[in-house]
Amino acid sequence: MRNIAVTALIVYFSIFMVYPIYKAFAGSLHEWNPLVGTYNWVGLDNFKSVLSDGLFWKSLWNTAYFSVFSIVFRIILGLGLALLLSSRLVKAKDSLRGLFYMPTITPLVAVSFVWMWMFDPQFGMINKVTGLDINWLNDSHWALPAIIIMTIWKDFGYATVLYLAGLMNLPRDVYEAAQIDGANSWQTFWRITLPLLKPTTLFIVITSLITYVQAYVQILVMTEGGPGTQTYTISYLIFDQAFQKYDFGTASAMSVILFAITGVLTILMFRASGDMEQS
Amino acid sequence: MKKAASVLLTILLFALAFITIVPFLWMLISSFATNSDIVKITGSIFPTPTTLSNYSGIQQKFDFLRLFANSLFVATVKTVIIIYTSAVLGYVFSKMHFRGRNVLFGVVLSTMMIPWAVTIIPQYEMMVDFGWLDSYKSLIVPGLVSGFGVFLFKQSIGGISDELIEAAKLDGASDSRIFHRIILPISHNTIAALAIFTFLWNWEDYLWPFLMITDDKKQLLSVGLKMFNGQYGTDYGGLFAATSIAIIPVIIVYMIFQKQFIAGIASGSGK
Repeated sequence: MRNIAVTALIVYFSIFMVYPIYKAFAGSLHEWNPLVGTYNWVGLDNFKSVLSDGLFWKSLWNTAYFSVFSIVFRIILGLGLALLLSSRLVKAKDSLRGLFYMPTITPLVAVSFVWMWMFDPQFGMINKVTGLDINWLNDSHWALPAIIIMTIWKDFGYATVLYLAGLMNLPRDVYEAAQIDGANSWQTFWRITLPLLKPTTLFIVITSLITYVQAYVQILVMTEGGPGTQTYTISYLIFDQAFQKYDFGTASAMSVILFAITGVLTILMFRASGDMEQS
Repeated sequence: MKKAASVLLTILLFALAFITIVPFLWMLISSFATNSDIVKITGSIFPTPTTLSNYSGIQQKFDFLRLFANSLFVATVKTVIIIYTSAVLGYVFSKMHFRGRNVLFGVVLSTMMIPWAVTIIPQYEMMVDFGWLDSYKSLIVPGLVSGFGVFLFKQSIGGISDELIEAAKLDGASDSRIFHRIILPISHNTIAALAIFTFLWNWEDYLWPFLMITDDKKQLLSVGLKMFNGQYGTDYGGLFAATSIAIIPVIIVYMIFQKQFIAGIASGSGK
């Protein structure tokens, strides 16, 4: 069983992972259009044109903006709610969890539609409830924040689940010791709970980062990158470059850069958390 | 005193939960309203539910049932296979020793960190070369090993005592028998957690089916919804109805597995 499983895994990964990654790197050095069958060596030309492309930098900035806000709010809301839900005072926990997970367990395409309608300037609920008069998804200032709001709403439940699981795994004796030492609940939270939850937080931050630099569906459904190019993110741009313009070479160069950025950020986060552990 | 705090906190949380699901309630109520009532600028926040025609009309506007069945088929098949491969590999990585085990597990984990943008173009070309476009092979075969799933199972199976496995071995049980008769049943919490996530991820997948499937009949529901919106963008009632139904299967999967859900995540992410 072991040999079969390991061999199958290696063969499978070689075909569907290793080869595509190799091909993405190789492709980034070529002029590559599968429609007409071109695959010509161009060296670093694709990278040069990507780095001098204003839309690339704008998309990169939008991706950073989108990711940072989504991650920060996901962590804060997820942790806050997990703390409330883990309180012994709360009744009907199963029903409450079910309701709070609703956004997380419903398909992204569907909830993107729901929020597209929520943000509608005419009949949408947001303007009706708040009394605002904003054309959210067609306004160059509000389109990206609107998508971020939707994403935070959709995703906080995932952080809640992981934090609830993390809270279940916390060692009881540390809390008892803290109680004996006379720590109040605020001190206990900052000095004990939060540090002990650091692995969970790190896991959420890293998986969120990976998810958000790849965010695509909510943008496609809600704005298609617009108004203008205001909500272009790096993944949307790559998709556009590859499957609308059939310029696979440039798109591969972008994806290699994205790969490098995500890799470096992940390593930096692991490092930073390791340093914190030592100090 | 404590009782009052308990009631108050529970009510507060239900109020928050209600706010969280308001978008769904609004969609559901709107799906029973006429288009003229939905787009009304003035008037109440919720439209008035007066008609079933949005639901009865879905099938005429696009082949909703067919797309729904397609999505159900692909998501179910993939969920079952991914759970099985994840459990097998989780067992192999946590309880069996072989050369290069840690390196290989590292490779499996690192696949979680690779953005789809990197692999999607070469995979697209591969599927074209294989002649798999427009067939469910292209949707199913490339996504049968989940780094996340293997990780969850390795963590949870790692917590099963070695003595149990040794005892079964002494009784003459083969690896495969131990896996199917002991490991899998014990892992029901992890199976539940992974089932919810995997079903959802496949049910909501948009990009890959959009690229692979060109025949409208074979298309999956999430792509179908987007196309429907493009074609009938003013038929809000119909869209609300279709979207409401599109959400149901995932909620059912969640309800089936919810009891073991948190425990599954806890055993998978623990230590």
